Amino acid sequence: MAEKGKLIKIQETNVSSATAVVSLTGIDTTYSVYVCRVSEVAPDATDKNLYMRVTKSGSPDSTSNYDSSIYALRSDTTFSTAQFTNGQHWKTSNYASSTGTGQTMQGLFYLFNFPLADYSYITNETTSVTGGNLLIGGQGGGVHTVQSASDGISFHFSSDNIASGNFVLYGLKRD
Amino acid sequence: MAIKTIEQFRTEATSEINAAKPMKAQVNNQVREFTDAEYETAIEDLAQSKLDEQNNGYKRSRTESYGSWNDQLDALWHDIDQGKLDKTGSWYKAVKQVKDDNPKPS
Repeated sequence: MAEKGKLIKIQETNVSSATAVVSLTGIDTTYSVYVCRVSEVAPDATDKNLYMRVTKSGSPDSTSNYDSSIYALRSDTTFSTAQFTNGQHWKTSNYASSTGTGQTMQGLFYLFNFPLADYSYITNETTSVTGGNLLIGGQGGGVHTVQSASDGISFHFSSDNIASGNFVLYGLKRD
Repeated sequence: MAIKTIEQFRTEATSEINAAKPMKAQVNNQVREFTDAEYETAIEDLAQSKLDEQNNGYKRSRTESYGSWNDQLDALWHDIDQGKLDKTGSWYKAVKQVKDDNPKPS
């Protein structure tokens, strides 16, 4: 019965000084589904989008094989959608992150099929406050259309550095 | 403002990334400087980001500035009700203002 239905922490890292790319590796066939949690993530310049990539053999894969779709729910009652095909990364939100007090991004990403020689899939769920103090709730999914195993996940902003944030990778132990 | 090519953005990005060196990667809990390949990726990322902002930034700004579908339909209803389904109507003026404030690059 021990450890059934638990999140098993694989890696955790905190960014406390400007870093361009954060990667969490260690995904293998131990678990079929992994979960990545990010919190208090902020860029070092305002209005930047946080992007994700899979890692192959420890290095972010920047080839143009990322498809994603995002639904952004806004606190001002409107909404927006965004779609991307053959991009060089996944977009985690349709809205930019900022540097104002409290204006950080939090997110939970489920990583499917990463250890398999198949496409890598993600679902994403984010919440953040933009530079205009607009709350955005984001839902979406993505696929990396390369049939090879991925061993991790990486994050970077559209430009400029990641100034702060906590990044944790878990294995989802189901039974 | 003249539309730039991806090559022009790559030149700009190369200068900016060179000025930003050393750049760091944090892999798990190890912090190290970018490899040459990672610098090349950073240059391409920045160039593509600039191209995307040029080509699509105004669309995102417009989307953020338009009112909700509910509010826009309500404005249209009032315009119809007042016989202003033309350029004097509130919906037309509001949309035109957003488009004027966020022009398409040419």
